[in-house]
Amino acid sequence: MLKKYVPKPGRREYVTFLLLLAEIILFGILAPNFLTADNLIRVVQNNAEIAIVSIGMTIVMLLGGIDLSVGSVMGVIAIVIGYMLQADIHILLIAAAAIGIGILLGLINGFLIARFDIPDMIVTLATMNIWKAVIFGLLGGKWLTGLSPAYAAITRAKFLGIPLLLIFILLIYAAFYYFLMYRKLGRHIYATGCNPQSANLSGINIQRIKMISYCISGGIVAVAAMLYIARMGSVEMTIGADLPIACIAAVTIGGTGAKGNGKRGSVIGTLAGVLFIAFLKNGIVILGIPSLLENCFIGMLIILSVLSDAVTSGRNKKGVTV
Amino acid sequence: MRRIAFSIAKSRTKFLLLLLLAEIIFLSCISPYFLNLNNLLQVTQFGATLTLLSLGESLVMIGGRDGIDISVGASMSLSGVVFGLAVIHGTGILGAVLITLAGGVVFGMINGMLIAMAKVPALIATLGTQYVYGSLALYLTGGIPISGFPESFKKLSLESTFGIPNQIIFVIVPVTVLVFVLIYMTKFGRRVYLLGTNSEAAKYTGIRETRIRMGIYTLTGVLAAVSAIINNSWLMTARADAGTGMEMQAITVAVLGGIGVAGGVGHLGGVLIGIVIITMMNSGLQIANVNSVWQLAVLGMILIMAIILNHMMQQFVTRVEKAGQ
Repeated sequence: MLKKYVPKPGRREYVTFLLLLAEIILFGILAPNFLTADNLIRVVQNNAEIAIVSIGMTIVMLLGGIDLSVGSVMGVIAIVIGYMLQADIHILLIAAAAIGIGILLGLINGFLIARFDIPDMIVTLATMNIWKAVIFGLLGGKWLTGLSPAYAAITRAKFLGIPLLLIFILLIYAAFYYFLMYRKLGRHIYATGCNPQSANLSGINIQRIKMISYCISGGIVAVAAMLYIARMGSVEMTIGADLPIACIAAVTIGGTGAKGNGKRGSVIGTLAGVLFIAFLKNGIVILGIPSLLENCFIGMLIILSVLSDAVTSGRNKKGVTV
Repeated sequence: MRRIAFSIAKSRTKFLLLLLLAEIIFLSCISPYFLNLNNLLQVTQFGATLTLLSLGESLVMIGGRDGIDISVGASMSLSGVVFGLAVIHGTGILGAVLITLAGGVVFGMINGMLIAMAKVPALIATLGTQYVYGSLALYLTGGIPISGFPESFKKLSLESTFGIPNQIIFVIVPVTVLVFVLIYMTKFGRRVYLLGTNSEAAKYTGIRETRIRMGIYTLTGVLAAVSAIINNSWLMTARADAGTGMEMQAITVAVLGGIGVAGGVGHLGGVLIGIVIITMMNSGLQIANVNSVWQLAVLGMILIMAIILNHMMQQFVTRVEKAGQ
């Protein structure tokens, strides 16, 4: 009997968790009101969408791709959900429709990328702008408001003192960890990201895998859209504008490299990356650092984390060839 | 008929000129004022900043290894803010221009160092610097546009000579000619193309990849700085969001102009026609009073269509060539 090969998260993921721990301790010492339950709950709430969308982004980036359209897709779906809520449609039907639209919009990306061999970035950059115009058209320059506040209560609810939202996010992460590590399709995604040619030769339809990854990304964005509308109760024009970059930053810091580094990374690392950035943003505000500089820190963090990756992988390569 | 279709499919320039012609006919049908020499000349100033950014973006893409520069917009914003701050602190226009150009060199070189020396994927590296530059620009201005340029600064972008906007005749045309000379008449240019076509082969012929690639990204930074100066003179303010979204337009123009995303493919001449097409479309949509959100959407659709067309034309060309053999 062959022992089943189950890859575990690598060193990189643990490093991110250590960094996260160091960051929490640092802010805990510097700001007394950082390590309070209220603050931690607020951090989770404010970053729920980023946490969820980052799972899809991780899968897309494992395949060497990138999805810049997540923010606009979330906007379109949130608006559709809003209108459906106003029309008093059953909540389960709304959820099904939202996820359906998400998968469809993801499929459009995936189809263009896989069928015509267009670079991921170009396609999603284009669809991002197209959906942005659709958001504008759907909203007509106004805000979508007047939704029932009943759902906001759910996002703030607690179970045994732990926010329900946090439990929900952790459950999704656990599910996708299982899917990517132990299911056939998940292993095919890793195989394709690692080496598309050999994956293709061993019978994996890489075009199909690519399309599926974008469908997953779209479907998961729909979940984030539901959360967003439950939490905020309104939709404005600029919805999701910062989402793609925030997710890419989280995924990158979590160790899932962009192009060429596909074999590395996992959703565990992404979770660490999401929390790292979330606490960083929170800490910056609490410490009173000008918030205009917030993106500057995140940008430098992205560069630093990829830099450390590039330096270590470069050293490995040299060790093999010389 | 088949021969004509073949020659159009094979030559990007012919295809783009055809597209341009269709666009001119369409726009002059919409608005009777469009096809008027004065209007056409005035339209060119809308494309001034885009021209420089697109040339830089195209070079980065031609250089290969998944070259892309998402930070051009933010880099332009930051250069503009540096220029504004320099003028306010009394360096004079000329001093400010020099400082800004130096800034452009630094911003471009940081990208170049990350990508060429540290071998960070271009997409991620410039994503990071886009964050940093954009945030710094915002921080330096505090979110408030810098104004108070001397009146004489207007001459650069708001006045015309012989009916042609000054920034076109005195900045864009000379800089474009310089870039063309650099790319198509010097060793540097040949090396850029060679790097994009086959970076392994380039290495074995003794080309210093790191140096050339650094040069490309630095040049892109300088071009962004020049476009920032023009833009400041045009708006007479330095805004921290002056370049926001410009990278999307620059990438679109480059791809539409026939620059291959994989590197080594495409001619800057096609990019210039692409700029004319996009600038005309933008001004046409503006005349027709269409919101700028839709302009970006149309841009996105053109981008996807252009690449799909590329794909189909490539298949057509190979099929005809096979049949001919």
